[in-house]
Amino acid sequence: MVNDIAIVGYAQSPSWRASELTEPQFLFPVISEAIERAGVERREIGFTCAGSCDYLSGQTFAFVMNLEAVGAWPPISESHVEMDGAWALYEAWVRLQHGDIDTALVFGSGKSSPGKPAEIYPLQMDPYTLTPLGADPVSLAALQARAMLDAGKITEREMAEIAARSRKSAIGNPYAQVSGDDDPEALLKEPYVTAPLRRHDLPPISDGACAIVLATADKAKALSKRPVWIRGIDHRIDIHQPGMRDLTESPSTRLAGKKAGVGDAKVDVAELSATFSHQEKLLCEELGLGDDVEINPSGGALAANPVMAVGLARFAEAARQIAEHGKHRVVAHATSGQALQQNLVAVLEGD
Amino acid sequence: MTDTKQPDSKQDEAVDPNAPITGMDYFMKLEYHELICPVVREFADALMEKRLIGHKCPKCSLIYSPPRGYCPICTVQTTKADEIEMQTRGIVTNYTVVTPVQYYGQEETEPFAKVSLQLDGGGNLSLQDLPGVPVEQVRSGMRVEIVWAPDGERHVDDVTNRSWGSAEGAIRGWKPTGEPDADPSEYSDKVF
Repeated sequence: MVNDIAIVGYAQSPSWRASELTEPQFLFPVISEAIERAGVERREIGFTCAGSCDYLSGQTFAFVMNLEAVGAWPPISESHVEMDGAWALYEAWVRLQHGDIDTALVFGSGKSSPGKPAEIYPLQMDPYTLTPLGADPVSLAALQARAMLDAGKITEREMAEIAARSRKSAIGNPYAQVSGDDDPEALLKEPYVTAPLRRHDLPPISDGACAIVLATADKAKALSKRPVWIRGIDHRIDIHQPGMRDLTESPSTRLAGKKAGVGDAKVDVAELSATFSHQEKLLCEELGLGDDVEINPSGGALAANPVMAVGLARFAEAARQIAEHGKHRVVAHATSGQALQQNLVAVLEGD
Repeated sequence: MTDTKQPDSKQDEAVDPNAPITGMDYFMKLEYHELICPVVREFADALMEKRLIGHKCPKCSLIYSPPRGYCPICTVQTTKADEIEMQTRGIVTNYTVVTPVQYYGQEETEPFAKVSLQLDGGGNLSLQDLPGVPVEQVRSGMRVEIVWAPDGERHVDDVTNRSWGSAEGAIRGWKPTGEPDADPSEYSDKVF
């Protein structure tokens, strides 16, 4: 049996190319806003879970400093995942299943600006065959896009159209870093960054944070007029070595989507962590999302990519669609690893 | 990223080309360039004027130096309005003696002490030096006063978001005043 858990508060920072604030400093107002919007007392929160990566900002135990934005004295019950905040949300969801506490705070934060992502990320790859090659996210995503192009699963024009639509959707989103009205035809005239990827196919490098408050059913009903129910949530992982999987497919997304119940009823909107343009089409196919589903009304990860918060931000944006825009059934997706190696899928619903 | 200069070169060792490979060396480094946050920049600017500043929490009155822009205990943000100037005399509350191990990159060779200070009138500083004081004479309760780096030599190049009050370019260290040691009751609940 699974207990119903709802999102009752959410907040984000803007996505900055380089923030002069420290990570705890820009987390501080985000966490406070999420708690205020939930209407809970900070000291009432039963469990706190964070997602961040010390390698990003290059500070040992940076995740401990981040707790300064939470208020951890007198001591609180808390945990941390070296993953996107969406996995912190999953841990908190599991923790709330125990039934002995009724609220949880989750947050994700990252400062990509101090380091060089192209140097940092190869360190998470196979240390013998891939790290020395400098296998970074852009190179691996380019291999994936090339495989999809060769298989006839996408065209460069479709990729440009996805990027143009994302940028247009991001206009007016105060948290977005990249927005604008671009003609796909003009985008296709731009040079390649790493063939077959052009600038518009890549996410921005971002600093930023996101926080969400979860509550069990009775507490959520007491706190919120429009609780956002987590109807299904699941995460699955594909093999670590990208050379040993078909990059034109994402079996982990397909399975997580099935377990979360994406196909059980009509989906209104999906917020997907498609960090590279071609990945959006792949994710839509694996999740069975057709043309009638609105994809990434926030602009998605191509508009703002605060690593370690970007997946949790999909939950915040998905919850916003239900709580503020009257949508009923929304999919949130987060990814980890390279070229969609690990995927988390959730189905959120209004009452 | 790859650093080909090996700290202890094995290149001269005879290598049997037929021996199985049991391991490989991979030397790398990561570089980070971080912007200094506004409250730490204000702390650094004050050091250049031979002033020590902190933020006093408007709720619990704890003083944070360098300022953090918030009180993590009360979870309230602090601003320029909460800035206070601290005194430059105080008591050593606690200390640690570091005995350097000569790992790759270690520049220190002799044991050295880092002390925590409770300043007269309030406020604490950690990671401070007592230059010229033999490590075996460092003790809790010592009364000390600041030694600023002289004009022209003073700099804050080493003050970052992560330096936790260590500012060797501006503060040469602290020297004993020669007064009798403070009674433990004056600092025993403030050992950090």
